[in-house]
Amino acid sequence: MINRIAVAVAFVVGIFMVAQYFISSEISGRLYNLLLDYYQIIFAVTMIVGGISLVRYHGAQIRRDADSRVYSIVTILAVAFMVVSASIAGTGPTSPYQWAFNNLQAPMQATTFSLLAFFVASAAYRGFRVRSTPALVLALAAVIVLVGRSAFGDMISDKLPELAGWVLNNPSATAKRGILVGIGLGSVATALRVILGIERSYL
Amino acid sequence: MDNSTAALLGWVLLSTALILFYTLRSRREGRNLRVIPGLKAIEEAVGRSTELGKPVVFTTGWGGDIQRPTTIAALNLLRFVAARAASYGTRILFPTHDPVIAEAAREIIKTAYAEQGHPDLFRDDDIIFVSPSQFGYAAGVDGIVSRTKPGAMFLLGTFEGEALILAETGNMNGALQISGTDSTIQLSFFIVACDYTLIGEELYTASAYLTDDRRIKASMYAQDFIRLLLIIGLLILPLLALLGLDLHRSILP
Amino acid sequence: MPAASRFSARHIVFLVVLAAVTLPLIFNLSLTHTVTPETQQVYANIDSLAAGELLLLSFDFEASSLPEVRPLAMALIRHAFSRDLKIMGMSLFAEGTALGEQTIRQVAKEYNKQYGVDWVYLGFRPQRESAILSLGESVSAEFPRDYFGTPTTGMPIFAAADSYAQIATVISIADGDMPSYWIEYAVSPHAVNLQAAVTASMATSFYPYLQSHQLKGLLAGLKGAAEYENLIERKGGGARGLYALSVSQFVIVLVIIAGNVVERVRRRRN
Repeated sequence: MINRIAVAVAFVVGIFMVAQYFISSEISGRLYNLLLDYYQIIFAVTMIVGGISLVRYHGAQIRRDADSRVYSIVTILAVAFMVVSASIAGTGPTSPYQWAFNNLQAPMQATTFSLLAFFVASAAYRGFRVRSTPALVLALAAVIVLVGRSAFGDMISDKLPELAGWVLNNPSATAKRGILVGIGLGSVATALRVILGIERSYL
Repeated sequence: MDNSTAALLGWVLLSTALILFYTLRSRREGRNLRVIPGLKAIEEAVGRSTELGKPVVFTTGWGGDIQRPTTIAALNLLRFVAARAASYGTRILFPTHDPVIAEAAREIIKTAYAEQGHPDLFRDDDIIFVSPSQFGYAAGVDGIVSRTKPGAMFLLGTFEGEALILAETGNMNGALQISGTDSTIQLSFFIVACDYTLIGEELYTASAYLTDDRRIKASMYAQDFIRLLLIIGLLILPLLALLGLDLHRSILP
Repeated sequence: MPAASRFSARHIVFLVVLAAVTLPLIFNLSLTHTVTPETQQVYANIDSLAAGELLLLSFDFEASSLPEVRPLAMALIRHAFSRDLKIMGMSLFAEGTALGEQTIRQVAKEYNKQYGVDWVYLGFRPQRESAILSLGESVSAEFPRDYFGTPTTGMPIFAAADSYAQIATVISIADGDMPSYWIEYAVSPHAVNLQAAVTASMATSFYPYLQSHQLKGLLAGLKGAAEYENLIERKGGGARGLYALSVSQFVIVLVIIAGNVVERVRRRRN
């Protein structure tokens, strides 16, 4: 019964959101703005659900798993610190919350992102093995774009940055465009299936 | 033609095609779909994990919320993977960045274990809300992969910068990896780092491929029909433009 | 799918990349380089605006990409303020919120720009689709208070513009796919003049949109920031990082060649 109601709501709201995109009227505009507000409220509630889920999971890890206990303790303490400090001292530029964000979270995030540099190199070492003609073309294109788009490209030749730009704007963009069209069609078809109740995995 | 009119035309065409194909074709046996290696390898991946006594890790990426079509397509695949894992008694770990996706996945996996007759094997803590932050999520998933050393990893959904980090970590830990995303950039990384990659709309066709649902197949035929119209347009309009008939100016936004 | 051995070719690659990135930063050399047409386009778009016109900057990135994205943001803001353009800042990512405010504030001090008159920071909105769509109706309705809790109605800057129709250009400063959302929910329904400043890895995703004119300009990565700093004649983070970036790109080319040499040698042995 609940599933049927959910499917019916998805249908009505889905059709409305499509219709109001093309039809402008005062009533549909007001209803549309109301739905957008509700959308944001629901998101805020899901964050509460997320917080509870996080604490439950790490609480269980602390009780059960000796190997990862310390990581779970640190996680819970960090969450508690951020919530309590924001509640007491706010999130202004000189607050403990902001200090923790600027000096702990931001550097840790940047460090994890920087792993990408190493992984790109190791993926390139494995992935650009020339075993066929298309693989050779791929490797050549990669070399042209890598060198052409660096400052060394200008030093080697004026034509290299132009060639790199040509590769990016023509074969690369064309291939992406083809994939994007397919993805766009797939997305719309999936959305239509959800609106029409054929797709129910979200329930 | 302005953007809105073009969007309306596209939407009407696709909806009409979908409804027509659904009505006309859904009662008849459809054509067989071409083999998609990534989807065919799901059985192999879950089987490998079972043999090794290792879990399966399934994650939908940081880039998408529950409403995103890619996430919905990934959850469809999760249903199939969870059913296989449940039938073999293999654990399935689902780390995610979004609490709503976590709840949807929890229901899917729990139902899969129950339907396969192993409700006792379902562990609530295997569905993990890691962090809403991109690299907090990436670090968390990497930690899970490094500690549990899964036999198979499914990276299906919308990924952004964390894609290669997850894929390389899985590769370093010896997992068989099946990936699929709608991001053209991350597709390149997945193709290099993973064993199988679902490219573009292959991810969306997974439902039809795995479940053989005629209604879902009907939507695929509708997509192919629109694709055919686009190809015809791409061939005819430039030819007409060369002949001096600039029809594309009145049709395209 | 081989599991990692104790010390393998992969670890050698990691060490080489570490050296390639670290050594140029230590020696702090600079390189000359040309400006790409894409960067030139963004510069020309902003340079063509009249004094007093409004830019909406959306700081759609996380702290992880700050070293790459901040030079882009600072170069753009410096250019805007030097042309006496007004700036509204906002963020669709929670982490980007404080970072965006810090960035605009730092540059606003350099140019003696007044808050509420020359610039305003609106803060964060969750649910990006609904936020982008709502801005088409009214910015002050979507953000009744700014980041600091001050009511936005009555602020002098809002007299200049309060919806997409009055905003000269929207620039999404992003480390992910956010410009696609702006294209879908702002450009398509509202014909917004949209530009993007993104990380280098994301830039290639947006070339199709640039060619179809859904994006009016695209700045890409640290090199894009260095090029823009050249154009505004003010060096910053882009120029500093360009040498390390260029060396590391060159090293990856060498890694690709090395991988192929190893493959050939292995095949011959087998």
